[in-house]
Amino acid sequence: MTALAERLADASKHKLRTVQEYFSLAGKALRFAFARPFYAQDLVQQMDEIGVKSLGIVLLTGFFTGMVLALQSSVQMRAFGATMYIGRLVSASMIRELGPVLAGLMVAGRVGSGIAAQLGSMRVTEQIDALNTLGTDPIKKLVTPRVLAALVMLPILTIINDFVGILGGGLISSLLVGVPTGYYWRTVWEQIASDGFTLRYIPTDFVQGLIKPFVFGGIISITACYFGINTTGGTEGVGQSTTRTVVLSSILILVVDYFLTQILLSVLGA
Amino acid sequence: MTDDARDPTNVPPAEPDARAGERRQEGRRASERRPTTIRRAIRDELADDDPTDEYWAETHPQEHRVVPVIELDHVYLAFDRPILEDVSLDARKGETICLVGESGTGKSTTLKLILRLLVPDRGRVCIHGEDITDLTFEEALEARQRMGMVFQSAALFDSMSVYENVAYPLREHTDLDEDAIEARVREKLAFVDLDPDQVMGQLPSQLSGGMRKRVGIARGMANNPEIMLYDEPTSGLDPLSTGTITRLIMKLQRELDVTSVVVSHDIRSVFRMATRVAVLYERRIVFFGTPEEMAASDNQYLRDFLGGS
Repeated sequence: MTALAERLADASKHKLRTVQEYFSLAGKALRFAFARPFYAQDLVQQMDEIGVKSLGIVLLTGFFTGMVLALQSSVQMRAFGATMYIGRLVSASMIRELGPVLAGLMVAGRVGSGIAAQLGSMRVTEQIDALNTLGTDPIKKLVTPRVLAALVMLPILTIINDFVGILGGGLISSLLVGVPTGYYWRTVWEQIASDGFTLRYIPTDFVQGLIKPFVFGGIISITACYFGINTTGGTEGVGQSTTRTVVLSSILILVVDYFLTQILLSVLGA
Repeated sequence: MTDDARDPTNVPPAEPDARAGERRQEGRRASERRPTTIRRAIRDELADDDPTDEYWAETHPQEHRVVPVIELDHVYLAFDRPILEDVSLDARKGETICLVGESGTGKSTTLKLILRLLVPDRGRVCIHGEDITDLTFEEALEARQRMGMVFQSAALFDSMSVYENVAYPLREHTDLDEDAIEARVREKLAFVDLDPDQVMGQLPSQLSGGMRKRVGIARGMANNPEIMLYDEPTSGLDPLSTGTITRLIMKLQRELDVTSVVVSHDIRSVFRMATRVAVLYERRIVFFGTPEEMAASDNQYLRDFLGGS
């Protein structure tokens, strides 16, 4: 019984230490963003890697999600004779929830796994030790540019995702459901405007829809860097780090999304 | 052969019994001094005089008996289990110290301690007499700029070309302009017998194992460090490449008077390049002396080690 208690205590200590290390890495990565030397070239390279190269899958998922959203809701809404409100439904769903979450999940799969695999390989082939011995802080050189790039690029990817989603929804609405294109876009705007504006000009929906991907960008990059840098056990370890990154960041995105929505709804209203 | 016979700690104490009695009473202090005693015992068995000191008095009269460049002083380190116990060794300017021993005895860990990638639980690690165990992370990064490290796997950055790899420490820590950097990269690549024009644009993945190791050495010495550390520089190489790398390490010591610590399994190379050899066995240094002393030793473990290699 005592042995069991000890093991439980050890396990919880280990978990706590992991959480502590995770946040410590996040803190260092952000702190180093304001300290010399700046690795601008690495930042641009990571923005390309995380942002530009993820554009394809984000466009595809956004477009098809918007289309299927319009299609499914048209079936339900037709029963109430409310098909003219498809634009409102598609825009609210895409901007508030589906855009950020889907972009987050897609980037977690594509970029998170890539970062974990790359940093994990660098760890097991002693390249991270080499950075240390060459007098470079690996966190500054490897983690900070990735975290910054993700923080900047994920909101941009989300805006694109939202837009093509609404575009896809519009295409289905006008082609299959019979809602006129002009009317569809008018209802989209009505929905955006109906939730009010923050700081007078920024639609509140946008604020909600952009804070989320910012947080998700942090979750994905820090999780991937954490598992990547702490990889042990050779190539098998690299595989495990990659899997853990995708699983944990996906779960965190979904869980954090709920709580973030709660907070944002109470702060921003609507 | 029994385990007892192999155990290097079975070397009979060379000190009088009265002293041994005192040490028993001293408890922990006695256990800390044990390997020193064994080392002394082995040396006492070998010769009365100290050929190492004579050698150094002749070749480095200025540096003789001055502060060692690298010094590990009664270092203890443990993670989940003990890794190093009471490890003491020193390297004087221009010396090549070879660390040998079975796998998992803490050889690479010793290099990491010198680099201050690890901090000992007890004991001191000094560079030029300055204790580096209490340095902050930033100070440690700076201290490492005086050292060059060559990794077992070469550890070249695989996303960068050979040129970028060798130029990396220069870009990080010097204000040299691009022409000066290129000149330095060419000089270092030529030093390690590589044709700069041929390899500079290549990626590490396009090079052979021996070439990667040589680029690793070029990168390690790019900043003209005074200390070079090598982690199994010849492992996984064919005999010819092994010879080339060994010659390079000797060339660095001879021409640039670099102080080196080499972790190696290759006894032939060790005997060619070492000024002194440290043998690690079960977390402790059981022998520290010249290759000649090592070869002449009748300690069973050392004989087994040399015979079995």
